[in-house]
Amino acid sequence: MNHSKNKKILELNKVEIWDGNTSNAQALRQAGVDVMSAYPITPSTATVEGYAKLHADGYIDGEIMIVESEHAAMSGCVGASAAGARTATATASQGLALMIEVLYQAAGMRTPVVLCLVNRALAAPLNVNGDHSDMYLTSQSGWISLGSCNPEEAYDMTLCAFKIGEHKDVRLPVISNQDGFMSSHTAQNVRPLSDEVVADFIGEFVEVNSLLNFDHPVTHGVQTESDWHMEHKAKQNDAMMNSPKVIKEVFAEYEKLSGRKYNLVEEYKIDDADIVIACMGTTYETAQIAVDKLRIQGTKVGLILPRVFRPFPLDEMAAKLQNCKAVVCLDRSSPGGHTGLLFNDISAALINTDARPLMSDVIYGLGGRDITVADICDIYRDANDEVKAGKLNGGILRWATVRGPELKYYGTGV
Amino acid sequence: MAKIKTITQEQADIANSLYKDKEHFEKSIWDMGWDELVPSAACFSFDGKVDNHVAQTQPENRNYAETNSINKYVGDWRVVKPVWKVDLCIDCQNCWLYCPDTSIISRDKMMVGVDYDHCKGCGICSEVCPTNPKSLVMFNEQISNEVALTQWPVKTKKGDKV
Amino acid sequence: MSCNTNGGCTPQGNKEIKNLKAFSTAAERFEGAHVLCPGCAHSIIVREILNATNDNIVVSAATGCLEVCTAIYPHTSWDCSWIHIGFENASTAIAGAEAANKALRRKGKIDPTSPEPKFVAFGGDGATYDIGFQWISGCFERGHDMMYVCLDNEVYANTGGQRSSSTPIGASATTTPAGSHSYGEKQNKKDMLQIMSAHNSPYVAQIAPNKWKDMVKKIQKGFDTKGPVYINAMSACTTEWKFPIHQTIEVSDMATDSLVFPLYEIIDGRELNITYRPKNIVPVRDYLGVQPRFKHLFKPKYEYIIDEWQKRVDEKWVYLQRREEARV
Repeated sequence: MNHSKNKKILELNKVEIWDGNTSNAQALRQAGVDVMSAYPITPSTATVEGYAKLHADGYIDGEIMIVESEHAAMSGCVGASAAGARTATATASQGLALMIEVLYQAAGMRTPVVLCLVNRALAAPLNVNGDHSDMYLTSQSGWISLGSCNPEEAYDMTLCAFKIGEHKDVRLPVISNQDGFMSSHTAQNVRPLSDEVVADFIGEFVEVNSLLNFDHPVTHGVQTESDWHMEHKAKQNDAMMNSPKVIKEVFAEYEKLSGRKYNLVEEYKIDDADIVIACMGTTYETAQIAVDKLRIQGTKVGLILPRVFRPFPLDEMAAKLQNCKAVVCLDRSSPGGHTGLLFNDISAALINTDARPLMSDVIYGLGGRDITVADICDIYRDANDEVKAGKLNGGILRWATVRGPELKYYGTGV
Repeated sequence: MAKIKTITQEQADIANSLYKDKEHFEKSIWDMGWDELVPSAACFSFDGKVDNHVAQTQPENRNYAETNSINKYVGDWRVVKPVWKVDLCIDCQNCWLYCPDTSIISRDKMMVGVDYDHCKGCGICSEVCPTNPKSLVMFNEQISNEVALTQWPVKTKKGDKV
Repeated sequence: MSCNTNGGCTPQGNKEIKNLKAFSTAAERFEGAHVLCPGCAHSIIVREILNATNDNIVVSAATGCLEVCTAIYPHTSWDCSWIHIGFENASTAIAGAEAANKALRRKGKIDPTSPEPKFVAFGGDGATYDIGFQWISGCFERGHDMMYVCLDNEVYANTGGQRSSSTPIGASATTTPAGSHSYGEKQNKKDMLQIMSAHNSPYVAQIAPNKWKDMVKKIQKGFDTKGPVYINAMSACTTEWKFPIHQTIEVSDMATDSLVFPLYEIIDGRELNITYRPKNIVPVRDYLGVQPRFKHLFKPKYEYIIDEWQKRVDEKWVYLQRREEARV
């Protein structure tokens, strides 16, 4: 494959110092995106800016459409994808909320768009900092959703997103998540693949029923009545539910190229752990330090992370949590009247197994509120006390690191 | 004397062919389970690859897919239907132009017939017909065309209420 | 002309249409047995537009009557590439396809010598004047090479006739109904042609399906124009304007002959050309009189609205003539 006659070559170092947005921009460049249709929003703006600068300097030969809203951004991506183009965009928070209806449309129309979602809090109050409320909002949209903990993982996941979504057995859009500011704006070492290796890995975009294929006129985006809707949703859903097979293949291939191994579920020192924390994003790396600290002190603790948030790796999650005594789920999103999404997902995984660890939910880190190693150590210690007592200490759901009276809900006996 | 229009058998065949059932598909969509459907509920206009320019190919020469609406029947929407008196027709094509349902069939600049599978009986064709008496007149759906042709309205004079 | 890989040479570009008989030789790309209402003008407009060109065409439609009635699974009435995403974004969908076409040709993934397709977006007045307004504005500002056709029946017809910002003053719509204390819609119709012209659109025009020659001429001009073209198509709606189904063309004639829907075009935002001058101008009163959605205006207490209508239409006609003369 050689499309570089229209664009300049960019030689990358073996180790680059990139923040998460730059990682996204470079990954999108290497992926040979045909049409980027995008709108700026903090903290994803620099992905678009980085891509635009690369485009302006001749390193990208695709089209770039800077549109008038995020809804238009995703709409342009879907239209372009249906016309046989590889498309991608980036957004966060309010922008994601604005384009949410088009996410559902993209998934239903099976257009393999890639979305670099830089996770940020949803208003109100307005907040530009990182939390997972936008990621959680996408959970029912039918998009495959991959998570990362640092800029290098963001780069890796963004690249894998193309290969996964465009696979003939998948053909679904994919989100590549990373924490706003904590990953997107933090410069770290990233060991990129070369342009040639990426081009080989992702390959050519295979068009399926393209609008520009005039040999085969096709109608996209029909209306269905109640006699057909469920069959089409079943088919779409089945592709999503069978995608882990493809995801694992792609991760395996990626490991050969990068030396970095990714799994549907990541774990850290979980085999003999009594207490497991489940969390996503940059918190995972912070928690690893807490785990190491507490293990030195003799407490057997561990970590689990759904690398693939959707489709939720329910069976794998359940298998890994059979032997622990407590699971504390950390949800970085205000749950709006229930326990948090990660808690619900993991509880669902365990309910049909014999394992009955103490299950609790901690809401943390909203609007960029920092969570420290010390905070996580406290969470482990509280859970340890609960394990010793054999029951939860007055509540299934609580909010951590909030000034004011303690916030505990459900199972409080009140 | 004005030329009296007639249509050839060939032209009548074309008009008839457009609303024959099309049953050359391997398996009907209605017999398919969710797993056999085209992803994203995409609908094809034609069966297989189009090997001609659609805009230059008349419907009778096209290979329509099962999912093309040309295969549907909406004739049961009608309460009244247009009946066509060939010898009055001057091929002005007004009816062809203004039919919302692509149900006036024209070939080689001549009106050839009404597609009764697709005609909803709106009556626009009759309304815009310029001849006097009109070449297209709306009759009750129940009356056969043969009978209708014997009940044709007479030429109206200026000032007559139509 | 262009020769395709199948060995045939097919004409490209606009069809040569000397008269209606010639026009009738078109091979339709819009099939019957859609479920639009009997007498629906949308269909007449779409047929005339698609029959005006030989080019490959990519069509998008916004949620609305046209989309819902022509693409209900498992049937499609479109013999060309067609996409519907949502209500607001028919324009952006086609802009995305247009950008894809550019990118894929530049990269050599599509043969850059193959004939260029036309990109056309259809939307009702709800999608165009209201919920999709920003999207169209964005597409036009970015200068995509596309045509946007608004099928203007002055209400949200598909859902039962709610008002839009295209609903003219005094019309009874279901969300601005006439009643003992109201004469219906209170706002004047938004002027989309001026708005889109101000977007540096190289060509905007108002068309009506009854004046087919004027319409086809403008559509073909639009197809020949590079850049974003806006077409406002008057679409008389038998169901929501509440006239008998066979009178669609008659009512359309009254709309154009009363100058409520003047037919004109604006080139490059400056040159305004009136393209139809009725031999006999019909009073606005007569136009309103054939549509029961206006019947309450004939009550003595509301008749002043009809007089104001006539005044406004007359003023607009003078304005159009002045601009045409002054070439500004």
